Amino acid sequence: MRQRILPWGALTTLCIAINALFVLFPLLTLVGNSFSGADGIGFDGLARFLATPDYLRGLRNTVVLGVAVTVAATLVGVPFAYIVARYDFPLKNFVALLPVATIIIPEVITCQSWLLVLGNNGFVTKALRDSAGIELPSFYGWGGMIFVMTLVYYTYIYLGTLAALRGFDGQLEEASRSLGRTPVETVFRVVIPTVAPAILVNAMVVFTLVVGNFAVSIILGNRIPLLSIQTYNAFVNEMGGSPVMQSTLSLVMITLVAIVLFVQKRFVERRLVQMAQGRAPAAVRVASWRGMAFAGLVLVVVLLSFLPLVTVFVAAFSESRGPLVRWGTFSLAGIERALTAGVDPILNSLKFASVATAAGIAFAVLASYLIVKKRSAATQALDYLVVLPLTISGTVLGIALVQAFNSGSMVLTGTALIMIVTYVVRRMPFSIRSAASSLYNIPDSLEEASISLGVPPLKTFLKVVVPVMWASVASAFVLMWASTLSELSASIVVYGGGLETLPIAIFRQVDSGRMGPASAYAAVLVVLIVVPIALSVKLLRIRLFATK
Amino acid sequence: MAAITISKVSKAYGKAAVLQGVELAIENGTFFTLLGPSGCGKTTLLRTIAGFISPDTGKILFDGEDVTRVPVHRRDIGMVFQDYALFPDKTVFANVAYGLRARGHDRSTVEKSVAAHLDRVGLAHLGDRYPAELSGGQRQRAALARALVIRPRVLLMDEPLSNLDAKLRVTMRETILDLQRASRTTTIFVTHDQEEALSMSDRIAILDRGVIAQVGTPEDLYERPANAYVADFIGAANVLPVRILRAAGEGHVIAAIAGHELCCLGSGTARGGEDGKLIARPELLVLGEAEAAPGTPNVLKGQVARRQYLGARTVYTVRIGNELTITAERHAGATHQPLLAPGQPVDVVVPRTSRVVAA
Repeated sequence: MRQRILPWGALTTLCIAINALFVLFPLLTLVGNSFSGADGIGFDGLARFLATPDYLRGLRNTVVLGVAVTVAATLVGVPFAYIVARYDFPLKNFVALLPVATIIIPEVITCQSWLLVLGNNGFVTKALRDSAGIELPSFYGWGGMIFVMTLVYYTYIYLGTLAALRGFDGQLEEASRSLGRTPVETVFRVVIPTVAPAILVNAMVVFTLVVGNFAVSIILGNRIPLLSIQTYNAFVNEMGGSPVMQSTLSLVMITLVAIVLFVQKRFVERRLVQMAQGRAPAAVRVASWRGMAFAGLVLVVVLLSFLPLVTVFVAAFSESRGPLVRWGTFSLAGIERALTAGVDPILNSLKFASVATAAGIAFAVLASYLIVKKRSAATQALDYLVVLPLTISGTVLGIALVQAFNSGSMVLTGTALIMIVTYVVRRMPFSIRSAASSLYNIPDSLEEASISLGVPPLKTFLKVVVPVMWASVASAFVLMWASTLSELSASIVVYGGGLETLPIAIFRQVDSGRMGPASAYAAVLVVLIVVPIALSVKLLRIRLFATK
Repeated sequence: MAAITISKVSKAYGKAAVLQGVELAIENGTFFTLLGPSGCGKTTLLRTIAGFISPDTGKILFDGEDVTRVPVHRRDIGMVFQDYALFPDKTVFANVAYGLRARGHDRSTVEKSVAAHLDRVGLAHLGDRYPAELSGGQRQRAALARALVIRPRVLLMDEPLSNLDAKLRVTMRETILDLQRASRTTTIFVTHDQEEALSMSDRIAILDRGVIAQVGTPEDLYERPANAYVADFIGAANVLPVRILRAAGEGHVIAAIAGHELCCLGSGTARGGEDGKLIARPELLVLGEAEAAPGTPNVLKGQVARRQYLGARTVYTVRIGNELTITAERHAGATHQPLLAPGQPVDVVVPRTSRVVAA
């Protein structure tokens, strides 16, 4: 029972106030701006959206792209998860590396490196052209986008399906077989229907990510109208003017994502099956041709996932001119330039990522503790507020923050603070989710024991709860570090002079066709992400994933 | 160590009253048990004494000092939790040292006290282990040492034995009692297990839906239950509806049941002309072949309906008339009587020491 309102009440109020200022207020500003006209309220934005064929095409293309990538990612992720969960074969341990690739390789680098391989001047493109006279279709456009996004996003479906299959109660399959179904029938009539909601939940996450995707869309989009790019362009065009169009397009994106998340929460998550005693059937050892086939498949997926790393590192240490990388040469010029004259983005990235990670995790620990352990009407409100950013794609978040803090009493545009706020808000739902997951496993009696032994509540939180949460906090820390360093879509909107980060620098170099400097920055970025993670995983024995 | 006084404590959650005007005086140094089924309010009362719950009305006094508004961490209590609540990231030693360190004791005092208490609970060699590396019984001992090492004014235990297997539970009872007797710490023990309560307590309070049903020594509660609820909860008892006819002197009453007349002890509240309840312990009923004349006082004539042979004793269900059944036991060895067969007519003799209470 609460004896006094303080200190938890005060902390809850503080958390709500922070969220209101940096999430709710920017969103409301955005909504207000989209419905503003010459004389107060107006529907110019919506009218123009509905009257412009290009915008409608953008909406349609975005949905088509979302569905295409989601289907492709499901077709890759689900069978792959099934094979990994149910079979044992040579080289299987390599699959543990797959989620790592998603964490440590920023989208912008995946995109850039595939351009180095399959782009107009890519080495595979050129090799085929020179040796066999085969002209590959352009990598820019639908094909390239779907290919790269599938590679970037299939892990979500793979990991979700794998977790569901590992929690599957094998007795259900035995029951089906005992009732006269063949093994194959059993898979389709028992296993798939049971794990289908889990697959669908993750597929819907992928869809929302594709809708909000910026890096791949803008680099490979080849002027195909897409909402995220149109929103960004409207923001750039309306700089200094009335922000009606950017706000309207942002609102359309939010609505699209919100609908999907609503359906997911309301209809799909309810169908998630809780297994009473999940003892998944043991993996079957397969040898001979099937084993070889599975091993080959794993190898291909692992290679495709890590190829960007290799490409980018080789390119970083090669001679290059404009979009041309001269493969087979060696040069330190690119790296040298990145570390001397062009060092600012590196320093900025390090600075922002460390401050944002520290602030974001501290906030996540406090907020998740309040939400899980100090239930009240106020913490319930906080619980809703902190997941709000899930509906806001990076570009939209950036636009909302710029609009909210461009004028008035709090002008933050162009400051380092707005960059940090952007990173913290963007990551908040995920950090809080991982911090909260371990809190559910800490019984209340643990805190009560400490208090009964004479330690006041707030000190108990620090001495008892935080150490027990430590493992999950540490992994949230690592994930936030990586994702903050990789963040492009929101930071490219809010950044100003002198605040350029590594992903922004990489994007600008790629955009102007300078693959050499882009690769050098990309190599540095990967090192900045990987080295601290590797060190902390080693030193702190962090387990990054519940499922390996 | 302190005497605990609970004065008119009430607590409600919304419309559900969990505690209603609870009054208790717990003497210094006693082992006091709060007994009752789940939902009776015993854990709420314990947590109110600890300070995790503040009562809506009423007071908690430690040695006459009002602690109702004192926060838990300044009450100087030791608490043992049902799930032990050992800090999983700390060793056994660090767990036990936790409260002493919070009190700012210097290093050598802490080490000496912790070592002494670990020794007392038989964990001296396991100080470096983590809770996950201990067995259930060892965890229980560590939790006990952690609560006692700070020399609390009162030791509060919330169903501490319920997570242990049956055999360990019996040995842990002795360990807890030995430690309590040695330190003379006032102890309040919550349980729903009547055997635990009877075997360990100096005094027991039985709770019934937020109200104290009876307070007394284990013998008081077993032999002189104040009402049917207490009789039913402590030990097995036949609780049968009777009609009280009249007083019979020396605290006895005459009551009618299924066409028979009984002369039994009446409780103060049972009055002639009212309905009452007969409380008869199965092991005190005398069961024999039908030989008494009909109408003999305190003899119920019936028929064996069911027999459960349990080795040391045999439990019979006897049908009296058309509506009534009564349970009676016969112990092997006491008399070398043959077993009675189902269907056989029998006499059940109700001793005059059985009690009739108000319905």
